[in-house]
Amino acid sequence: MSQMSSIAGQDLRDMFSAATTWLEKSSADIDALNVFPVPDGDTGTNMMLTMRSTMEEAFRAPDHSAAGVAHAMARGALMGARGNSGVILSQIWRGLAQGLEDKDSFNAADLAAALQQSAQIAYKGVSNPVEGTMLTVIKDAAAAAQAQVDAGNEDIISVLEATVDTAAESVANTPMLLKVLKDAGVVDAGGQGVYTILEGALRYLRGETELMRLRKPQIIVSELPHVAPSLQTAAVDEVPYGYCTEFLLKGEELEPETIRKRLEKKGESLIVVGDDSAVRIHIHTLTPGNILQFAARLGTMHQVSIRNMDEQHQDFLEMQKERMPTIDTAVIAVASGDGLSDVFGSLGAAAVVPGGQTMNPSTKDILQVVEATLSDKVIILPNNKNIIATANQVQSLTQKKIAVVPTRTIPQGVVALLAFDYEAEFNANAEIMEKALSSVKTIEVTRSVRATRINGLKIKRKQPIGLLDGQLIAVGDTNPDVINQLLSRLDLEKAEVITIYSGVDAEAAEVEQISAGITEKYPQLQVEVIRGGQPHYSYIISIE
Amino acid sequence: MTVKIVTDSLSDITSDLAGELGVTVVPLYVRFGETVYKDRVEITAEEFYRRLVSTPALPSTTQPTPNDFFQVYDALAKETDEILVIVVSSKLSGTYQSATQAKEMMKGKCRIEIVDSLSVAMGMGLIVIAAVNAVKAGANLDEAADLARRCVPRSHLIAYFDTLKYLAKGGRIGKASGLLGSLLSVKPILTTKDGEMSPLTRVRSLNAGLDYLYSVAANCPNIEGLAVEHATTPDDADKLVERLGAIYPKERIYRAVISPVVGTHAGPNALALTVLEGEKK
Repeated sequence: MSQMSSIAGQDLRDMFSAATTWLEKSSADIDALNVFPVPDGDTGTNMMLTMRSTMEEAFRAPDHSAAGVAHAMARGALMGARGNSGVILSQIWRGLAQGLEDKDSFNAADLAAALQQSAQIAYKGVSNPVEGTMLTVIKDAAAAAQAQVDAGNEDIISVLEATVDTAAESVANTPMLLKVLKDAGVVDAGGQGVYTILEGALRYLRGETELMRLRKPQIIVSELPHVAPSLQTAAVDEVPYGYCTEFLLKGEELEPETIRKRLEKKGESLIVVGDDSAVRIHIHTLTPGNILQFAARLGTMHQVSIRNMDEQHQDFLEMQKERMPTIDTAVIAVASGDGLSDVFGSLGAAAVVPGGQTMNPSTKDILQVVEATLSDKVIILPNNKNIIATANQVQSLTQKKIAVVPTRTIPQGVVALLAFDYEAEFNANAEIMEKALSSVKTIEVTRSVRATRINGLKIKRKQPIGLLDGQLIAVGDTNPDVINQLLSRLDLEKAEVITIYSGVDAEAAEVEQISAGITEKYPQLQVEVIRGGQPHYSYIISIE
Repeated sequence: MTVKIVTDSLSDITSDLAGELGVTVVPLYVRFGETVYKDRVEITAEEFYRRLVSTPALPSTTQPTPNDFFQVYDALAKETDEILVIVVSSKLSGTYQSATQAKEMMKGKCRIEIVDSLSVAMGMGLIVIAAVNAVKAGANLDEAADLARRCVPRSHLIAYFDTLKYLAKGGRIGKASGLLGSLLSVKPILTTKDGEMSPLTRVRSLNAGLDYLYSVAANCPNIEGLAVEHATTPDDADKLVERLGAIYPKERIYRAVISPVVGTHAGPNALALTVLEGEKK
């Protein structure tokens, strides 16, 4: 691939112009991600409009040096910034302009330094920086660029490639940092926007303009499963949102720092950015009048926008409510292993009680989780024969209505949960779920803890052994061997789906070998592999 | 003069059946990119599903315009002075709005009753058929409209979706969104409840889905009408009809194809069963 050691002003302009077009294709998708800080669903549009204004100014700039273009971009962004995300974006360009000061063209090291400056200025523009937003993404991206340069990389394209890759990872990680994102099951919209802009610029530099015309940016998907949000998230009772107040203040000798200090106590999400002739102000306040009065004394106000955020928030709460399962019955499951917990969570279990083989939870452990659920009716899935009795005792200790579906294995728990009928009454549901248990066979593979003889099998210590619905009936030298023995005992003619939950100690290559082996031998079956992460059992396999 | 019945193309009443029943079907619109088609008038269901899976951008759908309804009312007004309009759930489409606005445009030239089916596909189709039968038996407009309204809570549409992808992207997922995000591949089974798509349960395979659909009909003590429809897999639907033959005369089960407009949200391989429950005596 061609190397590139420096970029001139015109290329700077063209690369971000291409990036703007790239972002534009994605703005509706980004809008759909928006849940933070206020769910008004227009982050993509705001960033796109801000970028348009940014680039219009860049094309008007008389100075074609990199510094000249960057300054024009910063000015255009400040003038046209819309919404929270637009304002932060304008700070990123301002930082870039500072970083490229006096430069006719710039090299990889200059770019890295300028991005670092962008991140710094962006953080400074926000009075309460929150991680898991576009701030984090630009910071991580800038750090990646710097790391490349520090490692001696002088090729701008490959430096930017590393930057974009890191930005993507950073976006994917935003739900880990910000609970609202996790609850909503989305990545941060602003972060996605920053990533898309950087990616668009990179694609332009790589000469992929044709491809950019035909394709559209990908929304980064977080690996997180969507776990049903708890009621608290939707009922979160913060300070009333008040009014989102935004405007551009023009005047002479304005002092952004002083203005910020004056406004700091007046509301939330304060952003004050700009220079001595133009300052953009964004604040969530209960008293927009006071803010405007204060600003009117300093200069003239432009693009004034005041929106009632309580209305927006109400709509959001309604939307959140719809996301919740419309049930008054909670199902809780006992499982160990993060993967298995996620499986139950993703299928709608209200909570997972940690436990399983050799670590049976106490009645109290289960009771606590039962009491913590928001529902008065709880169905418990013990998922182990030694936990059923414990679960049965819960009823005598709580006012809530309890049903225990006697699931003896994880696969039984999964089919029971799947069979949950959203329309059925509590008792009927427990019956429906129990009836579903007969539709699944369970294979469990573990290692013998001692040498023994059982069911006519001679077993050595640490040898792989296999259980079919709780009966130890196979022993072998390898896990695949044991699994094959067990599968051959089943009538797979009528089976349709095989799900393999790999244990915490299962090796990826072996998992692959087992799943490929089954697919080859029984091509009519749908085989699914899920990382269960459970201890003790190398494999738990469900045959439905 | 006899009552004329109008419905929209989401009733899945094909032109043949419509001719037989004497029903006028107002098409909704399907848009792929820049091109707009009248549902099943300008694009066949087969062509539609072929493009649905091969085109990266999802099609979008639009309700008929008030004028579309007005034209139909106006033409029918030459033959009758009573029109019964049965439309798709107002929670799923703005078709009800268009039908109502068109009624105002008629300025009382003709008596028009509009019934919100609170359902879609054959869930509304069977209501239309029931109304047609009532009119054939001599019902006037008020009686036919009353009968249709009483059918609404008794019409149960149960749908098996191969994927929720299309429903989620189309923004009409309603309460079924709780089914999204499963780590296992599961096939949702949905129903219409209060006019919206609502989750019933989940299965992991087509056969389990067919079992479920069959069990819904088998557990209904008093079946007045049955309909089975498919998106792209007629053989699977036929299998279901075959099984339902054990509990209901096979020849009386209506077979239909899920309309492209609904298919935009249901996706390929979807199947639907409608049970019209008999009135409690």
